[in-house]
Amino acid sequence: MCLNMDGDGNLKKIASSRFPRTSCIALIAAGVSIAAIAGSSAQGQDGFYDVETKYIFGFTEGSGVGLEGEKEFSLESIARIGKADGRYWASETKLEYEFTPNQYIQFELGPLVSTHVIKDVTDLENRNNLAMSGFFGEVRYLVLERSASSPLAITLSAEPEWHRIDETSGARVTNLGLELKVNADLELIKNRLFLGSNLLYEAEGTRDPDHIGAGWEKESIGGVSAALSYRIIPSVFVGAEAWYLRHYDGSFFNAFTGDAIFVGPTLYAQLGPKAFMTAAWNAQVSGHDVEVPGSTLNFGEFTRSRAKLKFAVEF
Amino acid sequence: MIGTIARILLAAFVVGGTCLCVNAQQSASVTVSVKNHRFQPAEIHAPANVPIELRVKNLDSAPMEFESVSLRVEKVVTGNGEGIIRLRPLAPGRYEFFDDFHQETRGALVTK
Repeated sequence: MCLNMDGDGNLKKIASSRFPRTSCIALIAAGVSIAAIAGSSAQGQDGFYDVETKYIFGFTEGSGVGLEGEKEFSLESIARIGKADGRYWASETKLEYEFTPNQYIQFELGPLVSTHVIKDVTDLENRNNLAMSGFFGEVRYLVLERSASSPLAITLSAEPEWHRIDETSGARVTNLGLELKVNADLELIKNRLFLGSNLLYEAEGTRDPDHIGAGWEKESIGGVSAALSYRIIPSVFVGAEAWYLRHYDGSFFNAFTGDAIFVGPTLYAQLGPKAFMTAAWNAQVSGHDVEVPGSTLNFGEFTRSRAKLKFAVEF
Repeated sequence: MIGTIARILLAAFVVGGTCLCVNAQQSASVTVSVKNHRFQPAEIHAPANVPIELRVKNLDSAPMEFESVSLRVEKVVTGNGEGIIRLRPLAPGRYEFFDDFHQETRGALVTK
């Protein structure tokens, strides 16, 4: 159970036996951040001007591709937290440079830094490390833009990645991956309320992860998300999102191994004319691991929860 | 796998490239000035569905940054200088812009 504030400013109890205490802490932290930013916001008029939607939905990405001529540096961390037993924390941080050369295309690239804190987790070695873990690039292309007559916008994105550290175990590996996404958003209320959705296909291969001469081990993930984000003051969006993810062995959804549903709150705050932050917390509320009959959560391929925190500066 | 992905990406970019080029036969030109941190005129007009060359004249001594989320452009214009921004063909509508260095300085491009 945790406390939340409704649209009239009243505190309400939210009862959820499966909603982790950490999610409540994240919600409270988000609320404190919003209050602080709202207090410092000095908008003389209504201030609800046009907004870039790329980062307002949490893990779900909006259709925005930035502004022609804009450059941005950001730190984006994604943490995956909790397995079935023991203590598990794995994070990956993108040191990201982003630029938009024209009004349709955006590029991102940068190195990856990972941390792993693993203790007494079944099938994983204990580990406590911090490492430069790889490199990524991303290209985003706007295929349908929003207009006065069409509130829908759609962007395609492709993100190749190279990892030298396994995202799950933290072990040294050679891993190549490609993430393809359809990022769509719909403006429900002009400059105030947006509905976002992603379609995800991610394929990756790891060369001989168990060092037994087995060649490339391939896997893939398919997913779909839905997110709602509401602008409560000109500089702050709050919302919620849900993700359904399916994991397979093989590059093209060859053998189903399990699925999971994540839900959680999202926050986006404009910190100044050239800076913003976004945060999201997703808790696994349902899942199934085919190797664990009767399982109601999937800890084989996914974690108990995941969090995202991003700070960006434009220049 | 790599071949399939390459074909998907190629198809997406060919379609996008076609969209970029299809209206290249016509264009329009509009000018907006900034003086005393105000756009003059505050509302400018241009035809829809043709490329637009937008000339921004900064008549103040301080630099300004022309920016618009809906036009998806930003450009710094030096004090007493001017900048040219080439806009894609726009659907009919109202596109707000502002000076990112003085955010109360706002205007709009209306396309019909």
